[in-house]
Amino acid sequence: MILSNLLGSEVRDAEGRKVGHIADVRFVLDGPPGQLLAAARLHGLIVSPHSAASFLGYERYNVTQPWPLAQLLRWRHRGSFLVLWEDVARMDSGIVDLRQNYTEYDPMVPL
Amino acid sequence: MTRQRLPAPDTNGRSLDAQLHLLDRQIVDADGVPVTTVDDLELDSPVPGTPIEQGTPAPRIQALLTGPALVTRIFGGKPPASRLIRIPWSDVAGLGTIISLGVRANSLDASWVERWIRDHLIGKIPGGRHDPQ
Repeated sequence: MILSNLLGSEVRDAEGRKVGHIADVRFVLDGPPGQLLAAARLHGLIVSPHSAASFLGYERYNVTQPWPLAQLLRWRHRGSFLVLWEDVARMDSGIVDLRQNYTEYDPMVPL
Repeated sequence: MTRQRLPAPDTNGRSLDAQLHLLDRQIVDADGVPVTTVDDLELDSPVPGTPIEQGTPAPRIQALLTGPALVTRIFGGKPPASRLIRIPWSDVAGLGTIISLGVRANSLDASWVERWIRDHLIGKIPGGRHDPQ
């Protein structure tokens, strides 16, 4: 799969209700060590209920400057959450289904 | 259904968000020579449309993809998969403001345009095959 086929996809819960769109995909460098760098494993999907694209990731950092831009972008991405790979039930073209009782995690980027 | 907004679980490795930390970043080779930029990523994901069983290993990044993305960004759509050039993840040596490779650009398909121009255009100009004196 190519990542751009996943970005912007509609995300639905187990009952088929739309919960948002994929704004970004989080990877973790904790796979088996390669010759230069560890493998990058898909950790989870950043789901935004109101927008299909994210700009500069303001909703995932504590950055508050410039104030008007930060306020606008945080509002645009209010309710964003991280859902882990373990809670993904199916991926199809443009649609991602989540499992029953999936967990919404805080999408903040770990520093 | 119980939904809680918990802090994301700790991970053993560094976290990377694709749009924030990978896409559109410049790629340089082992000598610091600019090669290209990251236009897309290739993942080894399960077959699209099939249910993902509990415990299925998470997809991994197989390659960085680069290609003629400028035209499709302006006019919409995306380049056909056959026009995208792969840079295997195993060649990536470092991730920062730029993405550095552990190999030289000459060994990559991604730099064929530059090699072609060097050999067929610049090389034909008198003095074009050696450093300035």
